[in-house]
Amino acid sequence: MKRYFILLIIVRFSLQLSAQEWVVAPADAALKSPFAFTDSTRKAGEAIYVANCKSCHGDPGKNNAIQLVPIPPDAASVKMQANTDGAMHYKLIQGRGPMPSFKNTLSSTDLWRVISFMRGYNPKYVQEVALPTIAGAAAQNVSIKLDWNKASGQVEASLTSLKGQVSQPVAGAEVKLFAKRYFGNLPVDEARKSDAAGKVAFNFPKDLPGDSIGNVQLIVKLTDEVAYGEASAEATLAVGVPTNRPALTAPRAMWGVLAKAPIWLIFAYLLAVLTAWGFIAYVISQIKAIYRAGSKEQL
Amino acid sequence: MSQNSKDASPDHGNLEHGSTNSRRDFFKNFGLFGAVAAAGGAAIYSGYNYEETKPGANFVRVLTADNRIIEVPKEGFKDIKVDLNQLQKQGREGLKGHRFVMVIDLAKCRNARKCITACQGAHHLRPHEYHINTLVMQESEHTAPYFMPKPCQHCDNPPCVAVCPVDATFKRQDGIVLIDNERCIGCRFCIAACPYSARLFHWEEPLMAEADKGTPYNVELNVPQRKGTISKCLFSSDRLREGKLPYCVSACPNGVYYFGDENQDSVTNGTTKETFRLSELLKVNAGYQLMPELGTKPRVYYLPAKNRLFEFKDDKDPVKSI
Repeated sequence: MKRYFILLIIVRFSLQLSAQEWVVAPADAALKSPFAFTDSTRKAGEAIYVANCKSCHGDPGKNNAIQLVPIPPDAASVKMQANTDGAMHYKLIQGRGPMPSFKNTLSSTDLWRVISFMRGYNPKYVQEVALPTIAGAAAQNVSIKLDWNKASGQVEASLTSLKGQVSQPVAGAEVKLFAKRYFGNLPVDEARKSDAAGKVAFNFPKDLPGDSIGNVQLIVKLTDEVAYGEASAEATLAVGVPTNRPALTAPRAMWGVLAKAPIWLIFAYLLAVLTAWGFIAYVISQIKAIYRAGSKEQL
Repeated sequence: MSQNSKDASPDHGNLEHGSTNSRRDFFKNFGLFGAVAAAGGAAIYSGYNYEETKPGANFVRVLTADNRIIEVPKEGFKDIKVDLNQLQKQGREGLKGHRFVMVIDLAKCRNARKCITACQGAHHLRPHEYHINTLVMQESEHTAPYFMPKPCQHCDNPPCVAVCPVDATFKRQDGIVLIDNERCIGCRFCIAACPYSARLFHWEEPLMAEADKGTPYNVELNVPQRKGTISKCLFSSDRLREGKLPYCVSACPNGVYYFGDENQDSVTNGTTKETFRLSELLKVNAGYQLMPELGTKPRVYYLPAKNRLFEFKDDKDPVKSI
């Protein structure tokens, strides 16, 4: 009876697990890679896979994933390969439970490279590449220049693309500005679209700390990678507040070592010690004086 | 015969002529060869000289700690050998120009305990030895319970450092409080002094004592651990040196931890890797510190457990509900 009961529980839980399907909206699932998967994209994808995915999913086709609950599926497995390219892309972006979201860590292009790498383990796979959009055809090889407009307090980016030999402004492209910090990139202002002259002006906060001379390393990125490809630029501009705070060990404190001890403590201690020894020395000198006086009387 | 001799004499003369010619030619050729050799040598030497002195040839691009690319002459290079002295020196000094802070969002903690296992794995601890632990909290009978991860608070005015008689536990310039197991005498004054109960004492032989034998002691990792000494949360100083987030922060699946630099006014979430302004995050979410009235000035901030994202099965008894 007990055995049946346990069996019933197992069946119930396995049903529940299978019921927790990761549903992807049809629009997201229909998304296609903007570029064709080639050996070079697979190679680039492999490097990204090894750095970000391998620790849990293991090597594709070797079924050596880490034993989590649920076990991360193998990249070459039927279950994984049953996803459309768009569904894979969506799941990489969203994450669920122990599977982290790669929205802020990997670019869309890098995600497609990883998918390209995983598809390399499916001999039946035939890729459908997204049709290039009109904007994409119009503007490739976009280059961005960053500048600091001191008068308006804005950081200005100008977007140009090379068409043949002539550089043209890129209008209507969405760009994001980030300030590089020690552990990540801090978004500054909102995403903005370039005007007809290809210019974008970001409002820069007046109180963002820079380095000792106020320099901040800025990164500007085009958000629509499908239309424009990967385009970003970095520049170090003196837009921040010069920050040169003293080390936290600079002030003197009662931290057990003489080098750190407060001056008043060193003085008070020395005074106490000198007073004590001085008193002893005085007492000894008095005893000596008494002894001398005694020996004179005897004479 | 005479014809022959006549014939022979010019031949002879020719021969003699030829031989003098060849001597001259030899010297001439030798001179030419010498000139060519000298010119070639000079060219090679000048080329070598040019390569040696040309700008940029002897310089290497280096990224500094404050993210500036500079060029450094090759002669100034010094290989860093990771030995005990080097580890001790860099561990004592800390990272210049930084003031590390942690922000813990209590609203998101669901007691996944991934931070704990990641920490124990990195620092070679037993399952019951905690540098960080999640506590079950309930302020009063009718308030909702919540989970609270509690690492060392890395105080700016650390009572543990003040009481240490042998300078084994110390504060660094980047705000991190570390313990040197090689100096520690195991008096446990610091355990008594710490108001946050952040320290643990190795009563037994450490977990990986055998495996860690011979590895140089890293004060930024507290590995190898030592029996009869103190160990505590280190803010994963070894990872910070590489610009990576601490073990616990990057292991959390629920986005509980933010870690960053107060000098840069920014913190990065370990799960989503999103970066925020520290001042704004604390202001908007009413961030607070643990027991600030003690004047310890902790470097860990908490965001209140509002809008809990999970349900306790039994709100009355949180311990039973886990």
